[in-house]
Amino acid sequence: MKILVKIALLGSISGVFLGCVPAPKPQIGIGLGGLISQQVKRVSNSLPVAENRVVDREYGAKPLHYMNAIRSYFTNKIPRGGLSKYKYGEPKRAYKKEGFAFGGDISWRGWLVETSIATPTRTGRLLTPKPYMVLFSGEQIVEHILGYSHKLITKVDP
Amino acid sequence: MANFNTHFMVASGASAIVSGTLLSMEVVAPEQAVNAFILGTLGGLLPDVDSAHSTSIKVGFNVLSLLMTIMLIFVKSSTYSLIEMFIVAGLVFVGIRYALLDIFRKISKHRGMFHSIPVAFIWGIVIAILMQYFFGLNSLVSWVYGFMVTTGYFVHLILDELYSVDLRNKRMKKSSGTAMKFGKLKTSKDKIQTAIIYASIPILMNIAPDTTLIVNALFSYDAWLTFKDVLLPYDGRWFLH
Repeated sequence: MKILVKIALLGSISGVFLGCVPAPKPQIGIGLGGLISQQVKRVSNSLPVAENRVVDREYGAKPLHYMNAIRSYFTNKIPRGGLSKYKYGEPKRAYKKEGFAFGGDISWRGWLVETSIATPTRTGRLLTPKPYMVLFSGEQIVEHILGYSHKLITKVDP
Repeated sequence: MANFNTHFMVASGASAIVSGTLLSMEVVAPEQAVNAFILGTLGGLLPDVDSAHSTSIKVGFNVLSLLMTIMLIFVKSSTYSLIEMFIVAGLVFVGIRYALLDIFRKISKHRGMFHSIPVAFIWGIVIAILMQYFFGLNSLVSWVYGFMVTTGYFVHLILDELYSVDLRNKRMKKSSGTAMKFGKLKTSKDKIQTAIIYASIPILMNIAPDTTLIVNALFSYDAWLTFKDVLLPYDGRWFLH
């Protein structure tokens, strides 16, 4: 009898935790239909430049000045970031889910730039480049994640 | 067999050395090194969780029940009322701390497969998976935490084996070989248990985070050079930086 009560207690706990698993969300379209090409006119010190700016309805505007943004962002984020060597990939659409401990909902949807950074050690030796995924919302960097893969990040573009 | 205090002291000492080294090698940030130290120490207590009345099992289940209760509060804080949350949190805590512990005590056997090398690896992999899926940590940090638990676990197994040597009578105690083993093949139940444990490793590795970063950070030539860089003062000036 005692063991039955314990099993019932465990069953109810499992039920509570199963209830915590978020319900499946509707399939997220990759948003190809939402791709819009916009002409953005910018005024610079020299000549006016016309840029083809990609804006996606779901993922927002593709960052244009991501290289400078990434470099200045990492300068204060990693040791000797200002002395490091950077390589950048092309921005791609992606989304990120929160960890299951925080609900597992989609916490970010935008553009992801794969970046590799070779940082010097304190003795000046250049280390093997480290891969990073830099998450953008428009031109703003939201977060960076070490590595080119994460179980909670889905890259929409290959 | 070493007692709880000895395991705790040795595991925390070893974890301090390893997490300090990882911090110095810039593999982890300072706050991550603290977490790594705590996990390594807990890893050093884990193997005795299968011992029905050990301190480890009480500590282990206290930590687990508190962790699950806090996690539940995180997940449900936006939807549950305070009273609902209080009831459910209490239910979860009591259920894990008492009901699950009691069942676990009945089914586990001390110095069974819990004291084995493959289980040490399984704990590391499980921790890495939990860290990435539950807390969203990156692959490197997830694996570092898993590595720390496995390291602590190994420290425990090695310590138990060292204690099975009777130095005064210059003989091996009966417990020799029971702490650090690859598996048990005496009975058919042992064989099935061992087979399940070994079969679960590739399955878990399939869902585990990417290992490239941890391999580069800890087990590559570059990592070795970094270790050498931080081992001694690079400019020869001791304590004058």
